[in-house]
Amino acid sequence: MSAMPGVVAVNTFREAVRDRVLYNLVVFALVMIGASILVGQVSIGIDRLVIINLGLSAISLIGLVMAVFIGVGLVYKEIEKRTLYSLLAKPVRRWEFLIGKYFGLLLTLAVNTSFMTLGLAGALYYVGRPFVRSDVTVLVAAYFILLELALVTAIALLFSCFSSPILSTLFTLTIYVTGIFANDIREFGNLTHNRMMEAITRFLYYVVPNFHNFDAIGAAGHGDFVPFTLIWQNTLYAVLYATLVLTGAAAVFARRNLK
Amino acid sequence: MSRFAHSRIGWKAVVAIPLLLAAATFVQGRIDAETHAQAAEQEELIFRSGPLLKKLSLGYDPLLADIYWTRAVQYYGARIGVQNATFGSLPALLDITTTLDPRLVVAYRFGAIFLSEPEPIGAGRTDLAVDLVKRGIAANPDQWLLYHDLGFLYYWRLKDYPQAAATYLAGSKVKGAPTIMKLMAARIAENGGSIETSRLIFWELYESTKDPNVRKAALKQLRSLKAQEDEEHLDELIDQYRRRLARNPASTRDLVTAGLLPGVPVDPLGFPYVIGSDGKSHLDPNSSIQEPKP
Repeated sequence: MSAMPGVVAVNTFREAVRDRVLYNLVVFALVMIGASILVGQVSIGIDRLVIINLGLSAISLIGLVMAVFIGVGLVYKEIEKRTLYSLLAKPVRRWEFLIGKYFGLLLTLAVNTSFMTLGLAGALYYVGRPFVRSDVTVLVAAYFILLELALVTAIALLFSCFSSPILSTLFTLTIYVTGIFANDIREFGNLTHNRMMEAITRFLYYVVPNFHNFDAIGAAGHGDFVPFTLIWQNTLYAVLYATLVLTGAAAVFARRNLK
Repeated sequence: MSRFAHSRIGWKAVVAIPLLLAAATFVQGRIDAETHAQAAEQEELIFRSGPLLKKLSLGYDPLLADIYWTRAVQYYGARIGVQNATFGSLPALLDITTTLDPRLVVAYRFGAIFLSEPEPIGAGRTDLAVDLVKRGIAANPDQWLLYHDLGFLYYWRLKDYPQAAATYLAGSKVKGAPTIMKLMAARIAENGGSIETSRLIFWELYESTKDPNVRKAALKQLRSLKAQEDEEHLDELIDQYRRRLARNPASTRDLVTAGLLPGVPVDPLGFPYVIGSDGKSHLDPNSSIQEPKP
């Protein structure tokens, strides 16, 4: 593989920084500071829990908004601005461009998530206690959020290859919400006691990306241990699924008529 | 546009924005006044189904549980001690909170207090408090403190001593439970309702929590129980005095003079006990200790 995907990735990251995307960290910092100060005043016995739940939910939500709204414009914007043509005139294959775009946004999300996790750790320290061993679960939960964002970015990029940003956003969010309800879809099929329905819902369960896998916020709040097996299984699932989606995206983009 | 024109617009904005904000604030105040009566009558909850909210939370159920728990605390806090206040939405708020996060132990523990305290301090619904803590135990069988709370409800609120003893005994078997749980189970089984047993339970409650409000309430009860114990002892001495001198003592000083006491007895807050016209010992009217109502 050539070095082109790396060059595209670095440029995508630089572009995101230039677009002041990382300014969301200020919002996150303000939310965490506000929560750290206020939570003890308005509730009972959940200071640490709120900081973890609020912090991880904010990391997830901000990351999701970034992954979707930046992801759906990754390819579309290049076509609209006609910058893609000059880029493809160089020795860059279409799939390399896509991979570069994908990893560029993923790098932005990883940097963003890392800073927010650091902020969360600071807020946790502020609410008054030294770190304990179970706090490692907070890092695991943040890692799971990043895996989730990696999948969402791949899906957004896929739609960005053939659809407008508005429709791509709609499609991506629909798949995201469906993925959260993946377990319920299968349960629903089982409840019907209809073989056909059970087969359809089971099929959907495996086809739709299961975002429920990456939900470790509750476990982090209560300091539960997350088995290492689950960490690598989730990693493998995210890698496999993202590769699958990116392969689809590359296939679509390769056939797209850019004239 | 000239620089002068820009500057004029800037100055106008500086003046206009605060004025418009003040006007908007005024109008909002009027809207609040207009809708206040309606808002007060409205139910606190739109969604009463925890499972539905859990689905709608899109994976953010732990955060939503924290928000609902805070709502429950605020709801209770706004009504505590208010005459004729009702706690109608409190069970639903606690139910939603614990459905969203079944492991939020604090919601079961404090929720049980909010529900079981008699009106106007709480909802006066010990039955619902018992249900809540039982659900808490089912979801968190490793939390001996929940057994402690359930045992307390059976003992103090329902006076169901066999159930209380059984609950403390079950809790004593949970990993990490202190030995005193077993001791309390034995004490209640042997002598449920006695001051000694009650004192042991409140002492354990005082020791097992870090929350200042619960500690304060437990300390208050401990003082009441001490006063009750003192009064029982004083009443025995008054009987002895009456048998010896064929009259009631006018004050506890008479008991000292008669050689029945080494000094004037005082309650846990330092106020001397008084002897009433009924010939029984009582707390000083200035003492803030409450007569216990077991």
